[in-house]
Amino acid sequence: MTTPTRHAELAERLRDRVENAGVLDPGLRAACVRIGAGADAEIAAAHRELAATIAESSHRVTDAQVAAVREALGSDRAAFEVIMAASAGAGLRRWDAAMRAIREASDAVG
Amino acid sequence: MRLAEVERGDSIRHRLLIRLISRFAGYRLPDAARLAFYDKGFAGPALGEWTQKAMRDPGPWSVSERELMAAVVASWNSCPFCVGAHGAIAVRGVDPELVSAAIADFRTAPISDRLRAALVFLERMTKEPDRLSAADARTALDAGLTPRELEDAAAVAAVFAIITRNANALDYEIPTAEEFDKAAGMLLRRGYA
Repeated sequence: MTTPTRHAELAERLRDRVENAGVLDPGLRAACVRIGAGADAEIAAAHRELAATIAESSHRVTDAQVAAVREALGSDRAAFEVIMAASAGAGLRRWDAAMRAIREASDAVG
Repeated sequence: MRLAEVERGDSIRHRLLIRLISRFAGYRLPDAARLAFYDKGFAGPALGEWTQKAMRDPGPWSVSERELMAAVVASWNSCPFCVGAHGAIAVRGVDPELVSAAIADFRTAPISDRLRAALVFLERMTKEPDRLSAADARTALDAGLTPRELEDAAAVAAVFAIITRNANALDYEIPTAEEFDKAAGMLLRRGYA
């Protein structure tokens, strides 16, 4: 087994905040997390395009993509939550994959 | 910065703080710090807490090694802000030429074998997360890393998967080399939370 650390707790705290805090509709935020993690979700095209670009190649995000989501949602805060949710989805997907790999490798030895 | 409210602050207190810190420091407060002040009711504090643990808690990797990992992950994620910011901290404890070499190609850079083994794992985690497997972890463990070392390194890559995406999506303004150096001192003193 891997040595217990608090990374796992902090990852779950972040996941919980992204899913359950904020001003954005929780369903939309959860969809952005899924898209950030490489899955798909049926949401408005502008939100979907921004979240998918953040997931796959965030350096290609454009002013127009962010402005379109900002205009559709009506506030900087809501647009920021789309961005943070997609980013967190990408990070937590990688964290989950890493923990699974380390756990399986450690269990095989232990 | 693509969202004006993040740049200027979302409360009178935060707006004043941003102005005061910028004036005191003598340079524009970097966008990463402005983001840390923003929307405190949402996910930022949880991300800051995890980042603080990943980058500053006592552990098997030195602060400079973790900052170097962050800069290399940022280069894979094409994030010039984070490469500059975290490279500037790494050089406070590691030869600057080594930092540049590792960012250019960690496989040939004159870094320790354990750091190279960790970066092999982090590269697949970052670029091909669906292909990351127990075999990748086993390769790192066989190279001499402990599960704890590998988990701590993975935490750095996980938080920088998030931080780099936020930076790119919001189009952080890129400070000068001198400003990166000043900000590095602040991050070493104050941390991330």
